[in-house]
Amino acid sequence: MSVEVLAPGLQTTIQAGARVGMRHLGVPASGAADPLSLALANRLLGNDLLAPALEVTLVGPTLRFNAPTAIALTGGVAQATLGGEPIEFHSTIIAKQGDELAIAAVEIGTRVYVAFAGGLQAQEMLGSCSTYMAAGFGGHQGRALVEGDVLQLQKQNTNTDVARTPQEYRPAFSSTWALRICRSAESDLLQDEQLGELTNTNWIIGRRADRMGMQLDGPMISVSSDGRMPSAPVFPGTIQCPGNGSPFMLSVDAGTTGGYPRIAQLARVDRHLLGQLCSGDHVRFLPRRPQEAIDALHAKHNYWREWLPGIERVI
Amino acid sequence: MPSSDSTNRTIKACGDDLLSIRLGVAKGAQAFAEQLRAADEWQEVVAGIDSVVVQFDATLITIDEARQQITAELAKGYTPKALADVLLEIPVVYGGEFGADFDAVCEQTGLSAKELIALHTGREYDVELVGFTPGFVYVGGLADALRIPRRKQPRQRVAAGSVGIADGRTGLYALAGPGGWPIIGRTTFTLFDPQAKDPFPVRVGMRIRFIAVSAAEAGL
Repeated sequence: MSVEVLAPGLQTTIQAGARVGMRHLGVPASGAADPLSLALANRLLGNDLLAPALEVTLVGPTLRFNAPTAIALTGGVAQATLGGEPIEFHSTIIAKQGDELAIAAVEIGTRVYVAFAGGLQAQEMLGSCSTYMAAGFGGHQGRALVEGDVLQLQKQNTNTDVARTPQEYRPAFSSTWALRICRSAESDLLQDEQLGELTNTNWIIGRRADRMGMQLDGPMISVSSDGRMPSAPVFPGTIQCPGNGSPFMLSVDAGTTGGYPRIAQLARVDRHLLGQLCSGDHVRFLPRRPQEAIDALHAKHNYWREWLPGIERVI
Repeated sequence: MPSSDSTNRTIKACGDDLLSIRLGVAKGAQAFAEQLRAADEWQEVVAGIDSVVVQFDATLITIDEARQQITAELAKGYTPKALADVLLEIPVVYGGEFGADFDAVCEQTGLSAKELIALHTGREYDVELVGFTPGFVYVGGLADALRIPRRKQPRQRVAAGSVGIADGRTGLYALAGPGGWPIIGRTTFTLFDPQAKDPFPVRVGMRIRFIAVSAAEAGL
């Protein structure tokens, strides 16, 4: 009941739900950067929506199954083969003993999720099995997979009914995103025209984009301070702007406090997309009042609830 | 619209599920954060230097309800819990293999090893902040003679329990990881115990005194 890592891919980690309630101790959210895709993969296997699964980044791994196992792939667009034969995303797949699963480069989006019937065994730490690499805990030895790792499955399970995600519940992937944002604590430091710049620009996700955060390439945004302030709480989706005028957006593994003005906050409704934004992607920010953003969250939950009961725990 | 009470504290949305409460006083922020955490109604309660941010679950309460709850908590008034009465004695093995930058710090500050240790152990400090990375403890109030900057080149990895000094503070590394603070020693004090109910036992507002010990005494 194990899976052997023949090639690890660029950065493949075990991820599950986020860590909640410990940011005041410096413990970041961690967890799947795209929890919706994680939930969709687990759903096809009858797992808990946030059961530990593999999060694949940009270049996929090659895995060998040492026992028959039901699996499911979701997330960004990539080619995948099992025993040399192409396999579909969004469908339950039965891997035979000795089969090799190979996932190629992610073509659109950034992350692919591979879930296993029953879930992967993982180290639980501070309320979650998710890997937090910066501190080296959770998941598989607190780190990304390397060649030769052997992952244990919670249980052997191939009796899963073969399920497929209905078309209307397969998220569309693209290299152009529209993300809803709200004002944050230091938005007042921006002049009106600077705020307009934030929402009228086609931002490009910078070269540095990972689970900590991403640069936003575009015009300089000048804040009416020297870009420094007393350390203050920050969250996944917080957009900060240092004195050099080059804003960046934090993601799930970011530290819990920051010393740069918080000029905007990605609304909860779109935070699950942080995990799919890729270097070079184009992003438009849509300004929303908090209540509008919350209404949009309720609408999204209502849409997904039929296929993913418990969606409120996911996004 | 920011709302405020008579003493000009402000509550401001800083996202659709985040409210920032600006209190103006550092110790007030930590005390108010403790009070909110005790209420156990928030996903996250995080104090900054002079503000507190709460995250609420918008599927359970509305932003107006969240705001009203905060206003009510502010109206109750808050008093710093008597954390100041908690004095932690933190044993430190200074220098040698456990303080990779100890000699460089002596050179930088012009202090002898004995003087450096005497200065660092010679006063009580306040825990100012825990955060950024899990359990990292910022201890304020370092003597001016020990004021040095961070390393230009951060280390890829410093050991758990490492004791560093930079920018007028002592930093305690609860976990192994990359680190930019010049390391002067190591403590065996439990800064992180994943099995404990409270995995990070050092809290903001506690007092700290460093005690110089030998590696043998520390069991290193």
